Amino acid sequence: MPLKPKVIWIDAIGCNGCSHSFFNLPYLSTLLEKIELLYHPLLDSNEFKIQECDILIVEGAIKNTKKFDSNLIDIIESLFINAKKVIGLGSCASFGGMFGEGLIFNKENYGKFYTCKNKVINLPGCPIHPEWLGYTLEMLIENKPIILDDENRPKEIYSFVSHSGCVRNEYFDWKVDAEDFGTKEGCLFYLQGCQGPFTHSTCNKILWNDVNSKPRAGTPCFGCTERNFPKINLFKTDTMMGIPSKIPLGVTKRAYLTLAGIAKSLTNERLEKRLFEYEKTNNKN
Amino acid sequence: MKEEKKEVIMRTALSLFAKKGFYSTTIADIAKEMGMSVGNMYNYFASKEALAKELLIYTSRRFGQEIRKINEQNISSKEKIEKIIDLYFNMATNEPELVDYFMRVYLSNKEIFSNGCEGMLCVSAFVTEIMIFFEEGVRKKELKNQDFFVAFGLFMGYIGGIVFLNNDGVLPKPLKEYTKDVSENIYNALKA
Amino acid sequence: MKKLITKIEGEATLNIIGDEIIEWVDIEFHQFRGIENYLIDKHYMDALVINPRICGICGHSHLIATAQAIENAFGAIITNKAKLIRELTLNFEIIENHIKWFYITLFPTQIKDKKYLFKALQASQKISQAIALIAGQYPHNSYAIPGGITSDITYLELTKVKNIIYQLLEFKQELWSDFELFFTKIPKNIGKSNNRFLTKNLDISKIKEISNNPYQKVTYNGLYYETGPLSRMKEYIKEIYQKYQDSIYSRIYARVYEIFYLLNKNLEIISKIDLSENSYIKPNITSNKGYSIIEAPRGVLIHEIEILNEKIKYYNIIVPTQFNLSTGSKDNPSAAQQALLNENKKYLDTIFKCFDICAVCIGH
Repeated sequence: MPLKPKVIWIDAIGCNGCSHSFFNLPYLSTLLEKIELLYHPLLDSNEFKIQECDILIVEGAIKNTKKFDSNLIDIIESLFINAKKVIGLGSCASFGGMFGEGLIFNKENYGKFYTCKNKVINLPGCPIHPEWLGYTLEMLIENKPIILDDENRPKEIYSFVSHSGCVRNEYFDWKVDAEDFGTKEGCLFYLQGCQGPFTHSTCNKILWNDVNSKPRAGTPCFGCTERNFPKINLFKTDTMMGIPSKIPLGVTKRAYLTLAGIAKSLTNERLEKRLFEYEKTNNKN
Repeated sequence: MKEEKKEVIMRTALSLFAKKGFYSTTIADIAKEMGMSVGNMYNYFASKEALAKELLIYTSRRFGQEIRKINEQNISSKEKIEKIIDLYFNMATNEPELVDYFMRVYLSNKEIFSNGCEGMLCVSAFVTEIMIFFEEGVRKKELKNQDFFVAFGLFMGYIGGIVFLNNDGVLPKPLKEYTKDVSENIYNALKA
Repeated sequence: MKKLITKIEGEATLNIIGDEIIEWVDIEFHQFRGIENYLIDKHYMDALVINPRICGICGHSHLIATAQAIENAFGAIITNKAKLIRELTLNFEIIENHIKWFYITLFPTQIKDKKYLFKALQASQKISQAIALIAGQYPHNSYAIPGGITSDITYLELTKVKNIIYQLLEFKQELWSDFELFFTKIPKNIGKSNNRFLTKNLDISKIKEISNNPYQKVTYNGLYYETGPLSRMKEYIKEIYQKYQDSIYSRIYARVYEIFYLLNKNLEIISKIDLSENSYIKPNITSNKGYSIIEAPRGVLIHEIEILNEKIKYYNIIVPTQFNLSTGSKDNPSAAQQALLNENKKYLDTIFKCFDICAVCIGH
């Protein structure tokens, strides 16, 4: 990788959410000084042209459709061939997401560029967390090796699960389920469809926008970094005869059910009631 | 060695409970039957309540282990149902004090077990295996997806009820001969 | 001649007739994703995850519109607390959009300097944080659900949000200076349009969608209307509007004005929130039709849903860019077309972009 790598950021079929999320990177201005951004779909840059680059960032899914005065797939292919490294930014480019195909993987099978997967780094997420791209670019700029898993995702990010660090972990441990939406108390795993325990991400490790995460705000994790995102019935936990069909990673069903059964049989008094209550006020202005 | 002795004590206790009843049987009775001193008994079990809870864990584990063997076989849910009922009826016939303890002592005297055997704490080895059986049956689309307790109640209530009738001496045929029909009824009720 | 316009959350092709002066212009968008179709047969709750992903900069508006459309179908009520908190985050998205659009999309049409990008990002990062404090993350949260919101916030969060607003208000002088600077580069009286405005207080029966493969053109009472910040703010900027009517100056002035109008509005809203109320009231689920009309950053946004046995039977979305950027005819031009007519081609990019176009939204 040269000292100031040439980067082309191209938008395929998506929503630009990954770009807007990346704009929230606190050290963005410093990072942009370290690269030569030849093209970006939103930031002011030179006119687009097919050219060589060191890092190609693809945001959005691949689909046979018009782009600029040409065809999207042809454009991506030309850029791909002429790039040293390719980043599949977001779930659309990594796995297809909702709008098309991914670069090297689709939901069920391989993507168009699978045979060249060795030059691709996938950063799934809908959207990505800005630090995931910040980290990847810095590592590439400094020629540091990035350890990848078998879906080409950096292990330094995707070895964690979004369950790690959730403020509702105590409720998960003691099997105190949130009966409904809208409370800071209660675990969202059993009744609200939270996919935290088996979704690879850092949402509760590095918080979103430095301050929060969906489960902390009462919204279940939708598993957006995984290949099958989005699944059907995102707010419901799939159960088979009342037993969750997906359980935390690394645990056998027998072990999980035994622990869950024991936790369910015992009570943690502190967690069974609300942490505190506001006094109901009568004057509503 | 201590564990083996414990098991013998527990089996002895079980047969005495079955014969004389749970409340009428004392630690002294069990000690006498074992040829042990009461003091020595307390080396193995701190109290009758402690013995009662360990017995529960013991009986659950026995059932659980056997059901696990059935669960791990590569056969259909229908066949598994028949094997589980076969197992239960066999135990009820050959080791009646075991089943008797579960149904007469545990289910009828919950207050003894309320401290230290809350919920499924002491029966988890058994209940977990039933959960796994149900879950895999639904996963393989052989059983209907429904509320766990509805299915559990149907299964356990039904076979418990047949054993109850058997113990009352009401059934004309030996328990074993009801296995096929009971299995079929349960399968028809739970199938997808 | 054909001109490709980019940096508008996607791209568009303008077919222009005229040499130096624009005699006529047709507007064509390319990216179409078919989200309305994708929603059919999905569980209605899934729409709360799918619809924000129509757009990365105004997805929150789609979320609120979705939740409200479903509530309308169910006849569901929400607490005042949920209503106010939703308004709070929706306003933040509008504010963030305007700041980003002003510095990242509009400014570079006349003034190219990276420092303006970083100015925008400094502000927008704070606003994203304010939304995240309440909704979990930004972009793409689903904290608004039929019946209310999933968050159970405390005064800890509201205190932080308030302080973010105070920080942003300090930006006011600088933004207005940059506005003045921008208008030293172009004339103020260009880009006048049809002078017909639409806000969310409309009669939905008068809305008509006409197919313009692959997207729909939208008329109101048979005519093309303008929707957006100018429609919303013109009562508050009467002097400016009287002097410049619906020229590019008023259009951009309204957007800058709306930023601080909404920041102050949000302070008001925060003071009214009663945290002792519930966040969520479980709605009665029925099979029915419903719709919602809200003000999104670029104007009126309409969602229509039909739910049958908890599944989506039908879904229709009309985005503000459809109102403003329709391809009308010579005797019935859309707002953007009229604004470009008879103007010098050298102002094309700026006039087009002063409508703040969202190409991904129109390609839903």
